[in-house]
Amino acid sequence: MTSLYDWSYWFCEAWLVPLITPLLYFQEHIMPPFSNPAGDMARWMESDPGLNILAWTIAVNVALMIGFTNVIIVVYLERKIAGRIMDRRGPMLSLNSLKEIASDLAGYAPEYTWKTTTYAGIGILQNVADGIKFFCKEIIVPDKADRLLYTIGPVIFISSSILLLVMVPFSPRIAASSAPLGLLVVMAAFSIAPIGVLTTGWACNNKYTLIGGMRSAAQLMAYEIPLLLSMAGVFLVAGSYNPMDIVAQQQGMWNVVPQFLGFIVFIVCMLAEVERVPFDLPEAEAELVEGWTTEIGGLRLGLVFAAEYIRGFVGAMIATILFLGGWSGPFLPGEIWFLLKVYGILIFFIILRWTVPRIRTDQILLLGWKRLLPLSLINLALAILYVEVF
Amino acid sequence: MAEMWIHMGPQHPMTHGLWNLRIKVNGETITDAVPELGYLHRSVEKIGERRKYFMNTTLTDRLCYASAMTWTHCYCLAAEELMGVEAPLRAKYIRTVVLELQRIASHLMWLGAYLPDLGLITGFLYGMRDREMFLNLLEIPSGGRLLYNYVKIGGVKRDLPPGFEAKAERVMQTLERRLKEYENLYDNSKIFRMRNDGVGVYSASDAINWGITGPNLRSAGVPFDLRQADSYDAYPELDFEPVTNTAAGGGSDCFSRYRQRVDEMHQSMDLVRQALAKMPEGKVMADSVPLRASGEAFRRTEDSRGEALMYLVGDGSDRPYRWKIRSPMFTTVSAAPHFLKGYKVADVPAIMGSIDMCIGETDK
Amino acid sequence: METGQLVQQLAQHDGASDGSVLRSNVGRISITREASQSFFSALKNDLGFDHCSLISAVDNQTGFELVYHFSIVDVMGQMLEVHIDLPRDTPTVDSITHLWGGADWHEREAYDLMGIYFIGHPDLKRVLLPDGFAGHPLRKDYVYEIHEEEW
Repeated sequence: MTSLYDWSYWFCEAWLVPLITPLLYFQEHIMPPFSNPAGDMARWMESDPGLNILAWTIAVNVALMIGFTNVIIVVYLERKIAGRIMDRRGPMLSLNSLKEIASDLAGYAPEYTWKTTTYAGIGILQNVADGIKFFCKEIIVPDKADRLLYTIGPVIFISSSILLLVMVPFSPRIAASSAPLGLLVVMAAFSIAPIGVLTTGWACNNKYTLIGGMRSAAQLMAYEIPLLLSMAGVFLVAGSYNPMDIVAQQQGMWNVVPQFLGFIVFIVCMLAEVERVPFDLPEAEAELVEGWTTEIGGLRLGLVFAAEYIRGFVGAMIATILFLGGWSGPFLPGEIWFLLKVYGILIFFIILRWTVPRIRTDQILLLGWKRLLPLSLINLALAILYVEVF
Repeated sequence: MAEMWIHMGPQHPMTHGLWNLRIKVNGETITDAVPELGYLHRSVEKIGERRKYFMNTTLTDRLCYASAMTWTHCYCLAAEELMGVEAPLRAKYIRTVVLELQRIASHLMWLGAYLPDLGLITGFLYGMRDREMFLNLLEIPSGGRLLYNYVKIGGVKRDLPPGFEAKAERVMQTLERRLKEYENLYDNSKIFRMRNDGVGVYSASDAINWGITGPNLRSAGVPFDLRQADSYDAYPELDFEPVTNTAAGGGSDCFSRYRQRVDEMHQSMDLVRQALAKMPEGKVMADSVPLRASGEAFRRTEDSRGEALMYLVGDGSDRPYRWKIRSPMFTTVSAAPHFLKGYKVADVPAIMGSIDMCIGETDK
Repeated sequence: METGQLVQQLAQHDGASDGSVLRSNVGRISITREASQSFFSALKNDLGFDHCSLISAVDNQTGFELVYHFSIVDVMGQMLEVHIDLPRDTPTVDSITHLWGGADWHEREAYDLMGIYFIGHPDLKRVLLPDGFAGHPLRKDYVYEIHEEEW
């Protein structure tokens, strides 16, 4: 099994199709004129193009599940680390607390002893609780809002972010796609999000969301260019856009060493792209309540939050592939090394978020256009020099 | 884009208290501002005319709840002047100690409220964690953590128990260690400086004309401190100088106001140590405090936020005839539109947070 | 200058009366409302009282009384208390906002709660009570309207 696609092809051929087709063949002859499509479907599933499509569906879903699980772990990690930085513990809801909740619902009085509380755990169920909360809230559309755009805007934002999860490989084996133009397509999908932000911000009929949406669009536009230029340095040295080739080329020395400037520029621009502090003025609580997501509620808001964390995760993945050597490392399998490096970058992002105030919009734009753009151009020049000389 | 009016408040995460700020923006730049108060107006002055003199100390605590001890103290000084009563010396020293501890707690609350406005939510927890230590200290003599009812006309309610000096010393050493850490975290942070330098600037002469007092005035370089200029309690016998700060370029900006309050915390700790060392023995309450008073009197004190002045008129009965309160924040908020113009919308939390607003005293 | 000297010098002003020394750094004087403008200009420009602390309004039932507190911003902390008596039916006086910007909202509050009208004030509106409120609550003849059935 050299790749996720091969594994899922084997899975379909060996397990999935042999289990489903007998049922379909059985249904074929129950009511002859109407139930014939069951047989057609079974024959399609056994044929080559059908197996191909089934295998791709399952491969993409597996990659998506791996990505989502990692994102949920990142959310948990963020809340715990934020708590520890602030001299508190973070969420403590876990399986241990279910005992207390169950007895509470059943009507028993809580059992308080003189010791410290016994029902706290490490907090892994907090995300589940938050997800249930998002499910239960009502989605309210404001009265004078543009209904169509209000629905479409978050959809653009969320779908373009989830698409990224399957386009970036976790290792040579767990890769749902390996297009030759790999990372370029990823960056293109990354950049669709501002359209969703602007659309939603305008459609809510609210001054605050409008200002938030415009600030966000200005910031994201300003930081696309240094981001792509710093990546261009790596593409130049590696000679291709495919993540497999880029990691293979870093076998001797990780790209962070010769292209340190590019690494710094990339990290700062990625922070601005995913709108984390210090660059999160578009959703600054102190002035704009929640920025462009003020009027969104319910599961839509939950998915928007998840999409923001997904973008952060994907950004760290791309940084690892480009600069930190991806999945190469001595003893452990490639996936473990990859995840360790990604989580290292994410922990740095999290600590930065809770240690540093936010920058004002015009200062953000100044930083982007006047400081990072020249730096990325210098990095590109150095990379060209490197390629010419060696 | 045309100019539009934006409401910040009355329900807004930024507003420190319940008030409304309407700003006129042209894109991102502010061209005009109109503060609207009165949401927390409780007609304290009118209620005070119905209650006896000693009953009004419960009302004054609630004027500015973040710095309650200083307001009760100002009222008690004015009432003592009206009645011709003087507190014994030990009570004056205890009042000084407790007032300075309250000032530190109020400045820590300001720090905890100011940093989230800039985006650093961790600062809130650090400020509150340190304030807890001081609230525990203030709970020892008075029994309350936020509203004390401790300073009475003629003295204080109870004496300080033995062991108070040791506890206070330990707390202050902890705070000094932590303030050094915060200085590294905030002063040396480029982003913090970028948000604060050159933002919300007003010159010293403008500030005096607009009636701004207290740390906001001293951060413009004017060494005017009522504890020195119009001394009361044990301050004439303590040794200190007013602390001033100036922005680079003259006047006062958000960074100099931040530095001013941190420096004042250091100065307050120094004053507490001096007062605890010099405290005499004796009674803590005057022998006889009359119930009735007539005439007029006023007293002004250096509140955590500026100059607090209370003017009392008595007509011979046991209730005040007229009680007027001067709140420093009332005047500063009226001057706020002047130093909001020309800055960006993102600067509004920084500017309004840096002047340390408390709506309780503004709305009376 | 010393408080006694200050009060003596001010007492020579037109319309001034009743000068006295309250404390070592506080003087007190009364003036008539016609002479108030020239008196306050002299205070600010000649004598250097650059900080207007407070403007209080008192309702003596036969009339109103305005009590101004001024101070000099320096280490001596010199203060002056100025009383102006106003008749009950026309409680108006000239505004001093053009001299001290800080007097702006103090005059608005005196108008809001006591009903004293300041001539020449740039924007004399209610500041603490809502805009449509009727009456001036801090007056002694203000009647609370208690609606028993509403609670």
